[in-house]
Amino acid sequence: MPATNSNKGALLEPDFIARLERLEIVSRKIFHGKMRGERRSKRRGESVEFADYRNYVIGDDLRFLDWNIYARLERLFVKLFLEEEDLHVNLLVDISGSMDIGKPLKSRYAMQIAAALAYIGLSNNDRVSVYAFADGLNYELSGLRGKRMIAKVFDFLGNVECGGVSNLSRACKQYAMRHAQAGILLVLSDFFDKGGYESGLRMLLGRKFDIYCIQVLAPEEIDPQLTGELRLTDVEDDDIAEVSISRALINRYKHNLQAYCAELQSFCTRRGMTYALANTQVPFDQIVMGYLRRRGLLK
Amino acid sequence: MTFLSGWGPIALAAGLTVPPLVALYFLKLRRQPLKVSSTLLWKRAVEDLQVNAPFQRIKNNLLLWLQLLVLLLAAFALGKPVIDAKESQKDSLILLIDQSASMEVEEEGGMSRLQIAKDQAKTEIDNLADGARAMVIGFSDRATIASSFETDKNVLKRRIDEIAATESVTTLSEAVTLAEAYMQNQVIGGETPGQDPTAQGLTGPVRVAILSDGNIADATKLTVKRLPTDDMQVISVGERSDNVAILSMDARRNYERPAMLEVFAMVRNFGPDPVTCDATLYINDENVDVQTMVLQPGLRAADAEVDADSSGIAPEDGTADTSAGGRSIMSAGPPIGSVASVAFDEVEYEGGGVVEVRLNVPDALAADNVAWTIVQPPRSVSVLLVAAGDVFLERALDALSVDVEQMTPAAFENASDDDLTEAGRSKWDVVIFENYSTKRLPPGNYIFMGGVPDIEGVSSGKTISNEILFNWDESHPILRYVAVDNIQVFQWSELTLPTDAEKLIEGETSPVLAYLARDGRQYLICAFGIIAEDEITGQPMLNTDWVIKPHFPVFLSNAIQYLAGSLSPTGMRNIRPGEPIQFPVLEGTQEIAVRRPDGESDHIQAAGFANVNYARTRRVGVYTAKPGIEGRDRFAVNLYSAGESDIAPRQKLTLSGKQLTASGEVQRVNKPVWPWILLAAIAVLALEWAVYSKRVFV
Repeated sequence: MPATNSNKGALLEPDFIARLERLEIVSRKIFHGKMRGERRSKRRGESVEFADYRNYVIGDDLRFLDWNIYARLERLFVKLFLEEEDLHVNLLVDISGSMDIGKPLKSRYAMQIAAALAYIGLSNNDRVSVYAFADGLNYELSGLRGKRMIAKVFDFLGNVECGGVSNLSRACKQYAMRHAQAGILLVLSDFFDKGGYESGLRMLLGRKFDIYCIQVLAPEEIDPQLTGELRLTDVEDDDIAEVSISRALINRYKHNLQAYCAELQSFCTRRGMTYALANTQVPFDQIVMGYLRRRGLLK
Repeated sequence: MTFLSGWGPIALAAGLTVPPLVALYFLKLRRQPLKVSSTLLWKRAVEDLQVNAPFQRIKNNLLLWLQLLVLLLAAFALGKPVIDAKESQKDSLILLIDQSASMEVEEEGGMSRLQIAKDQAKTEIDNLADGARAMVIGFSDRATIASSFETDKNVLKRRIDEIAATESVTTLSEAVTLAEAYMQNQVIGGETPGQDPTAQGLTGPVRVAILSDGNIADATKLTVKRLPTDDMQVISVGERSDNVAILSMDARRNYERPAMLEVFAMVRNFGPDPVTCDATLYINDENVDVQTMVLQPGLRAADAEVDADSSGIAPEDGTADTSAGGRSIMSAGPPIGSVASVAFDEVEYEGGGVVEVRLNVPDALAADNVAWTIVQPPRSVSVLLVAAGDVFLERALDALSVDVEQMTPAAFENASDDDLTEAGRSKWDVVIFENYSTKRLPPGNYIFMGGVPDIEGVSSGKTISNEILFNWDESHPILRYVAVDNIQVFQWSELTLPTDAEKLIEGETSPVLAYLARDGRQYLICAFGIIAEDEITGQPMLNTDWVIKPHFPVFLSNAIQYLAGSLSPTGMRNIRPGEPIQFPVLEGTQEIAVRRPDGESDHIQAAGFANVNYARTRRVGVYTAKPGIEGRDRFAVNLYSAGESDIAPRQKLTLSGKQLTASGEVQRVNKPVWPWILLAAIAVLALEWAVYSKRVFV
């Protein structure tokens, strides 16, 4: 049953928002931005921070010649300054049916993380884009800049309807085709995609994003407390699995889940992505304030 | 295990019931619906478990397995499974169990043949159909009914357990007669009034099982009249054949030196291996002498084969007919070296007592390893000859080592009681009357030659002449070593005797020599005198040529010694196990206690009897009566039976001309097991319910 998050109360508490203001998103890579921002760019530009010298070649802007050196050495050198650019923070939130499970709902948990990161990004004048995807990019809110835009983000996330079959591959493809601008990309999903997550994540790699995969799992999924003869229905595609719960089966399931997560982590690590597992039982602010900081996404 | 109904019904039942159950199992499962984020991992987990178990779902459900088990057990029971299928039992079973001496042989495993036979008999009882009846007869020298027709299996088994071993020879005829008689009685006893008893007879089939080692002495002579020989089964018991036996033993005093004893024994090895053993002589339980002997094998491998093919049991006297397939070893005599005589000469012993020869050999049968005989102390016997003058008798008595006094008949009649008696008995051990009858007979022992004692039931009649001596008991001690067929008698008187008189020699129409015991007196009555009156001339004449034969003094000696009770063991008749012993009773004795070889005593009422007969002599050994007349108060019972000592079990037995092949053991018959299987099914059903109630999930 698709549900919106609008009636679940505010995504972020004011106290928490205040704590978020002190944080900023750190990229391990230096990206080219479109606009001047508050972070250093790889490009040499017009900021006040000196970076280097180089020999003058015809056509260089004469304003940047270092006349003092010319006076001493009678040779022309051009001063190079670091350019400051804005950072693209992209948040991909999974809103497929499988995220609409658990207490708290996995989708809400993911959106809270997304909202927090969006707020941090907007606070630091980063360019923040939020996408919700299920079998494709279903919702999009892009190009936000400036703290005042946070209300839009909250509105956006509050009005997203969960449901549908998860298709990470297609969503990533659509996203990668539309956005060539490198930046930080957070994928918040349970990665339970029967089509596989590999091809989707591989497509993102081509764009040289600094990718963070946050796998959101509910405790019911990590340690299911089931007994008896059950008819399990997949909320996404209504696929039926009839199981007779036994200790062996539970053990096997846990083993498979562990292997699945380990495989995802291994996939990410090998490709320079950062993987994190978020158990919805752990309050999301701990994830943001603690875990993501430790992993270097925030400082 | 086999199935009376075959596999068909089982397969059909299982095929019809098992698949629906499995189908129902899947249908009846009400699975709880539950929404999960993804079935991806669940399916994978189920698949993982199913990799090793194609029927994972079934495997993990105990309930289904229990129900399947119930169904299969029920289907199994439908096939009417039975253990060791054979045709079902007859309505009536007669079990003849050999309890002779050879059944005491201890087989491998420590069980005696009798015990094995009893176990087999109990198996037969177990095999009986419900409601079928059985009869148990134990047989040795005579047959005893352990149980008449009975349907209660427990009672029958108890009766079988009560069958005890004897040390007698084996004869089957009495058992067969008994069984036949009981079959008839059963018919008469069980008849319904107003209906023809013949039609109600043992219409149901009767089966006879003989449990024996096959050493049946009278098997070939036996005639089976009513028992169905077709349904007769011989179950052979035992395997051992190693046995050494004393077949005869004798002790006699040296004629010239009565203080010297000579003991002879004949020993034979029946086993397949040579045997070296010691024969020890004991007198009154004191070890006197030991001799070692070597015996060659009595049963060679070739003999064993012949034996297996032979028709059965060789008679004890070794006169089997080879042409009839008899045992060659018997007809040709035992193999050379397998028989040895052991002689203990010059044993100085003046007293009386028990002489025992014992073989120290660890063979299969112990009863024939020892032989006993009773010897009496040598003493001189006093004899009174009451005759008108007979030189032949006088000479014959002179030749014997007895003290002889003579008296004429007139002097005897005129003598005072004190002259004739001493302490209420005759002064002489034996009084011999010739041609004289009298009623003056104080308690004592009397020989009448040509006269009769004037007592009730005994009389002398007309003179018989021109007849021959027709029949005689040469085994009787009095006639031992007496060649009766060599005697000529011209005439004798017709004798009328009581029925309990022992007739030793008989003519064509009348007894000639008889022994009679009456009121503390013993009489040996001879119907003729040595001297008789010639009918024509009236002159005395020699009535018989016996007096000039060398065995006449032997006869006189035997008779005097027998009557005087001092007969040497040579003349004593050997008593076989089971034969009755006659103990003379001392006057005034109320009860005689007979002590058996096993130490127990039997008490016999003796008041008013001159002799008591004791018949519980089925064990070998010495039987002693107290109080008893010295010299006649102890008897030795010995097996002395080549047939019993030859313990090798026979494989074939001929009864009434029908050859029966022995089988090793009782064939088991159908024992239905389906009730047990159904019981198991119910138990499993109960367990299934318990499991279901507890909601056990594995």
